[in-house]
Amino acid sequence: MLTEITQYVLNGLVLGALIALPALGLSLIFSVQGFVNFSVAAQMTVGAYAAWLAGTYVGWSPYPMLLFAFVISGALGVICDRLALAPIRRQSGGQTALMLAVVSIALNLALENALRFIFGNSLNNFDMPIVRNFRLQGLSVGPQQIRNLVTALVITVALAAFFSLTRWGKAMRAVSDNPDLARLKGIDPRRLSNLATFLGMGLAGVGGSLLAIDTSVDPSTGSRLILIIFAASVVGGLTSLYGAVLGALFVGVAGEVALIWISPVYQSLTAFIAILIVLLVKPTGLFAGASGAKR
Amino acid sequence: MLKFNRRTFLRGTAGAGSVFFAAPWSGALAQSTDTIKIGIIIPLTGATSQFGATMSAAAKMAVNDVNTAGGINGRKIEVLIEDDQSSPEAAVRAAHKLIDVDKVVSIGGSYASAVTSAIAPLCYDSKITLFTSSGADSITKTPHNGYIFRTSPTVTLQGTRVGKYALELGAKKMFFLGPQTPFAQSYIDIISKLFKDVGGQGSGLIYEDKRASYRTEVDQALRTDPDVIVLGGYVPDTSVVLKDLYRAGYTGKKVGFSFGVNQAIADGLPHEVSEGIVSLVPSASVDSDAYKTLIGKLKLASLDSYSCQVYDHVVLSSLALARAGSSTDGTAVRDNVRAISQDDKGEKVTDVAKALKLLSEKKVIDYDGASGPLTFAPNGDVEGVFFRYEQVQDGKMTLIKVA
Repeated sequence: MLTEITQYVLNGLVLGALIALPALGLSLIFSVQGFVNFSVAAQMTVGAYAAWLAGTYVGWSPYPMLLFAFVISGALGVICDRLALAPIRRQSGGQTALMLAVVSIALNLALENALRFIFGNSLNNFDMPIVRNFRLQGLSVGPQQIRNLVTALVITVALAAFFSLTRWGKAMRAVSDNPDLARLKGIDPRRLSNLATFLGMGLAGVGGSLLAIDTSVDPSTGSRLILIIFAASVVGGLTSLYGAVLGALFVGVAGEVALIWISPVYQSLTAFIAILIVLLVKPTGLFAGASGAKR
Repeated sequence: MLKFNRRTFLRGTAGAGSVFFAAPWSGALAQSTDTIKIGIIIPLTGATSQFGATMSAAAKMAVNDVNTAGGINGRKIEVLIEDDQSSPEAAVRAAHKLIDVDKVVSIGGSYASAVTSAIAPLCYDSKITLFTSSGADSITKTPHNGYIFRTSPTVTLQGTRVGKYALELGAKKMFFLGPQTPFAQSYIDIISKLFKDVGGQGSGLIYEDKRASYRTEVDQALRTDPDVIVLGGYVPDTSVVLKDLYRAGYTGKKVGFSFGVNQAIADGLPHEVSEGIVSLVPSASVDSDAYKTLIGKLKLASLDSYSCQVYDHVVLSSLALARAGSSTDGTAVRDNVRAISQDDKGEKVTDVAKALKLLSEKKVIDYDGASGPLTFAPNGDVEGVFFRYEQVQDGKMTLIKVA
């Protein structure tokens, strides 16, 4: 029984690591721009395709591939933001955050179908050897999954350093804390919001690539997971960066461990019950207050 | 003050005149050239969309064939193709549009069982004939009053064949892994029973699709120490399950169905992961003239059974209406399908143009399509289907046997 639970916790951590980066992107954009940008799902898929093209046709190794995915998703994210979302943001109405979220859903569909138009519906596999899990004390551990987990953690730590050590990072935290005060201090919110979108979408792209290396790339790679990513962000408090990562790991582990008692068909339910409980008991999110950009 | 000058006068006269002259004409034209509309609901996007493009091409080819042969009693047909997005909700919206707005006589395609289960009541309540290529047994158990025709083998038949094949391979312990679908539990029950009847074991697990990892599900499956795993999913989830099975070190036998294990999955997975999986594929009527003509026209080397079925859905609707004569509604389609597809006294015909010509001469025909002989049991299920057993070998689907 103990081995079984440990195994499920391990599986949950691996799953959580996969959704941690997109959740981080979602939270980053929310904390600076103040709305939930659902097009992270399509940007995950964009990143996955970028990495797949670089790996398959140019023959790049995994890390340059991930960097490429980061840049492409980030750049496309900024372009889409300027074209589709910035015009709405300029009209300052009471419902802007909701309108932006709805438009971002439309943008997500447009991007996903553009990918479908270009690449078709088929599954694309990364040209990488698939490795069998190794056994350790009765537990099975996948080398690729461990690498995903480590990559996600390293990126999070790098981001934390960026936010606490650099001018740009501090400026972003200032904007998310109090936009008016930040503007009075001479911080340009537009450039910051571009940077936040670039980083956020880039992270989604890297997350999508890691996910696709683990599974495969098709036009719905990202959008299949958007709800669980959103759940991770909400559990983490939406504005806290560590919160997003911890929230992702929490949602991942809770979902897998719950399989001991419930049928796998209802697995997504655990994520939504988690959202419900968090919003009822601690509306600011379980991990809000953990350092990072916070409102 | 009323302005009345030369221009308004001319404009008014021209307008009134055009209404005067055009009105009776448009009425008369509507009688002879109004097209007969046939709805097609197929998955062009989403998890079940692997055959969507060829299904669409097959439907258009059927329209072309019927209209080139002069249409139905002088009237052209038109297919309205709607994407069900592999989702029952989208399919219901599409069916409402086709039935209420476009006034179609029949709906064809209808591939995933969840989709067909959702739209079937809309069709038989509106007296629209539904042709489906879904497998779930429950579909023809609805009170459909004969408005449903199924051209694909049922789940019970497919499950029995897969179970028997797994037993033929010498397996003793079966485990079924598949997503929540209208047929998943039936598969588990049917195949488990086959194993238990000969002293073996069988069990299964229904998972949720749209997941990034099935490690825990695979762990649970492997804890029963199976020697054959039956994969009941569609392509995206099956590909993840197969990778996780490989990672977990499973080396036993794997058997799947054509909607989950097909060339798309062989292309999308590393060879070491996909090697050796056997897939049960409802076979198109590959030796028939109808099939050979169809793939020739579509310029393809081969065509899956489901796309052939969509072609036959359009043809069956057209021939039924051609026999019905003046009435062109869903009931006329329903009442005439068996008369043109399974009349023992009828002349065997595989060509649409020839079938239409014979019908116009009031001859009796027995149409055999690209998907099969198209003989329907009283409940609407098709009879006399063959299966191809294909195995993934080095990334290619290779035929083992037809039975």
